[in-house]
Amino acid sequence: MNEHRRQILEMLSQGKINADEAERLIAAIEEPAAAGAPDAGSAASAKPRPKYLRVQVDSEDDGGHDCPTKVNVRVPMQLLRAGVKLAGLMPAQALHRANEAMQEHGVPFDLSQIKPENLEELVEHLNDLTVDVDQKDANSKVKVRVFCE
Amino acid sequence: MIPLVAVVRLRNEDSRTFRLWIPLFLVWLLLLPLGVLLSPFIFIACLVCQVNPIRGVAVMWQILNALADTNVEVEHRTAGFSFHIV
Repeated sequence: MNEHRRQILEMLSQGKINADEAERLIAAIEEPAAAGAPDAGSAASAKPRPKYLRVQVDSEDDGGHDCPTKVNVRVPMQLLRAGVKLAGLMPAQALHRANEAMQEHGVPFDLSQIKPENLEELVEHLNDLTVDVDQKDANSKVKVRVFCE
Repeated sequence: MIPLVAVVRLRNEDSRTFRLWIPLFLVWLLLLPLGVLLSPFIFIACLVCQVNPIRGVAVMWQILNALADTNVEVEHRTAGFSFHIV
């Protein structure tokens, strides 16, 4: 949406349209968004909040000769929230060391950028997380599923 | 509410299952005096690490409360293990 607005403003600055036309165009692109917003909000509120993060692993080694291994882990989302809060208590020195260690391993991520106010949002976005990994080769077949329920 | 019981289940190759109920409430009761005794040291450690001790205790309490309903199961042809916190 911001991109459309930027395009309109660029057209205005280039003199391709006048101020009235720009205003009408901006109003036109804002109308569908305003109309669609309540629907999106009600859909989000209607969606039940997941209670658990599930990790399921099905593995068949030795070519699948009746030797499957199954791992089933169910972690309450509340535990994730509390764990993320615990990570937020990390002192600055520890964060600095962790950042250095991650950069050494090729992960350019700054943990100090994670603010406490963002943590809840971070966990909330896990609700839509689904990871499916299927790996098949000659000797093994592994299926990993990570999802919220 | 903090978890009161943990159930550990072990299965061996003969399909014999051992189920162990761990009364966590007794563990908490035993750990409570220990925590009170160690609280000055925990407080000093928090100050040294520049962590708000009240916030630290609050987060630990939240983690303890959130442990309920955690479930881990590992099943293999020869053995099985499960751990459930009630």
